[in-house]
Amino acid sequence: MIEIRFHGRGGQGAVIAAELLAQAAFLDGKMPQSFPFFGVERRGAPVTAYARIDDKPIGLRTSIVAPDVVVVLDPGLLATTRVTDGIKPGGLLLVNTHRGPESLAAPPGVRRAVVDATRIALSHGLGTTMMPIVNTAVLGALARATGAVSLEGLTRAVEQFVPARPQDNRFAARDGYLGVRIEAASEAASGAAAAAPAAPARPRVLPEGPVASLSSEAIDTAAWRTFTPVIHLDRCTKCNFCWKFCPDDAIEFDDVGFPKIRLDYCKGCGICAAECPPKTIEMVATEI
Amino acid sequence: MTQKVLSGNYAQSYAAQLARVQVISAYPITPQTSIVEKLADFVASGELPAQYVKVESEHSALQVCLSAAALGARTYTATSSQGLLLMHELLHWASGMRAPIVMGVVNRAVGPPWNIGSDHTDTMSQRDTGWIQIYAESNQEVLDTVLQAYRLAEHPDVRLPVMVTEDAFYLSHTVEPVDVPDPERVDRFLPPREPHAVLVPGTASRLGSFTGPDYYVDFRHQVAEATERVPTTFAAVEEEYERIMGRTHGGPFPTYRVDDADAVLVTMGTITTTARSVVDELRASGRKVGLAKLRMFRPFPNDAVRALAATADRIGVVDRSYTFGSMGPAATEVSAALYRSPRRPAVTSFLAGIGGRDVTLQEVRHMFDTLLSGAPAATHWEDLEIEEGAVHG
Repeated sequence: MIEIRFHGRGGQGAVIAAELLAQAAFLDGKMPQSFPFFGVERRGAPVTAYARIDDKPIGLRTSIVAPDVVVVLDPGLLATTRVTDGIKPGGLLLVNTHRGPESLAAPPGVRRAVVDATRIALSHGLGTTMMPIVNTAVLGALARATGAVSLEGLTRAVEQFVPARPQDNRFAARDGYLGVRIEAASEAASGAAAAAPAAPARPRVLPEGPVASLSSEAIDTAAWRTFTPVIHLDRCTKCNFCWKFCPDDAIEFDDVGFPKIRLDYCKGCGICAAECPPKTIEMVATEI
Repeated sequence: MTQKVLSGNYAQSYAAQLARVQVISAYPITPQTSIVEKLADFVASGELPAQYVKVESEHSALQVCLSAAALGARTYTATSSQGLLLMHELLHWASGMRAPIVMGVVNRAVGPPWNIGSDHTDTMSQRDTGWIQIYAESNQEVLDTVLQAYRLAEHPDVRLPVMVTEDAFYLSHTVEPVDVPDPERVDRFLPPREPHAVLVPGTASRLGSFTGPDYYVDFRHQVAEATERVPTTFAAVEEEYERIMGRTHGGPFPTYRVDDADAVLVTMGTITTTARSVVDELRASGRKVGLAKLRMFRPFPNDAVRALAATADRIGVVDRSYTFGSMGPAATEVSAALYRSPRRPAVTSFLAGIGGRDVTLQEVRHMFDTLLSGAPAATHWEDLEIEEGAVHG
């Protein structure tokens, strides 16, 4: 049995990726299982999805805590989520990035692979710069890097189960398959794992009281942001529309009444940029 | 027969389509929504010639089904968690009016705190509404059980509503291979509904209206008697299903490797799959453990539970919910059944998987260890005793 864990963001297609992988494995004659875990059901929020592939029916209905393969659809998650937690020795880390495999932090003995799925997706017109749909390109790379499914099985799965633009998605899968860069086992990571900070330990005993254990001020929704609003104040009319429409109260005002983004809470949704009457707000890609 | 890789939710949708339901009404709620979205697709594309009634709440959704059923239609709805709680009043109406509605329920935690994970508190809170409750373990079982549920609900000996439940995400959003039977074969198993005691437009008649103490008890007793006929009828329905489809799920309380078992775990829903793997693993190392799946919770399979007690010395019951001030709801039922049994093994109540918490291999091993250690029967909040598997990405 091979166990694969996907890390992505709501809206990126991580859940569909895991499902498509299961469909492809079934077309290959295997017995697959796939399922997602949603923390919060919001665009941009981190999402985890799981897939198991075996020759016989799968006798487990649990999350995957010791994956053979970890797939990261959004490199921005590397800084905020400990994606390689529990990965098996000799396992594989596959990341969508334009950088080389050596740029990735991984536990010792874990092989690293990269694919520039964002570029591939955009080259086939899949999604937008703000939200590229990278899942089929990543699955192509996964097929090549692991052999978990065949490219033929994946191609047929895309044709049968991707409702929108199956041809472009098929090309993206092929380009991912051809474009993945895998380091040789001998070059596997020897350095330290995961750059992201460890999650705080679960308190053994929670204080009795309010049902939410954290104030929403303590929730770091900035981690959901892939694009950051930049306000060009020379054209700002102080109309306050950005402040009115911000769904997260992430806009405040400076001493002279110009709006200012609270970057600890801004999710990068782009609503302020869309609503700004003189169009003074620009959404700028976060450098990864 | 076609094999498809389907989610548990789509297994519900395909089953409702194969059952040729005539009226569907539902209100969206995570994690149920994709069931009725798929049905809306089937209706829109003409693949399912049914009336799809959009409503503003779950309460109204069930009222639509109830009214359509009162006119003789075959009806379907689906909900989850808070949506099921909002239906509560009308759940009683459905059983009291003997409406053979079939409803898919995705078992989801009840707030607060807000949570969309798997938990049985929603359906356990409907224990006394007169509905038959069947809990599924796999997507195949979801599909087969929905078809069986219509035969059971519409059977002249029963005429009661049925809920077919599936664990949130562990089934609802899990895709796996499912055999989808051919429509002709399903038609042989499930002919159109034969309406009984329904309203006929233009003819004066009443369903469910005022009855004083002189007759009220008789109507309630009829529901009780119909419920008592469920085990026999369900056995016949499953036998017929096996004859036509070649597949069975083993009745209301199937057992696994219990014959000489020292300790037996009783599980519901998806925890059963993982527990079965643990039984095989522990058996391989010579430990005598077994498993019983509580598939039908209402009516409760008292006789089958007493039969299990004839051989098992220690019984643990795993509940994915808790009844405050008591123990797990299935544990209370198992205990009550055993009190009228000549052999009364002590019953340990394990609370596991609450609010979508992962029930891991390690957690199930820990439950068997607790039973085999001979520790006195107690209630264990297993999720708090075991740390692993608690964290999601």
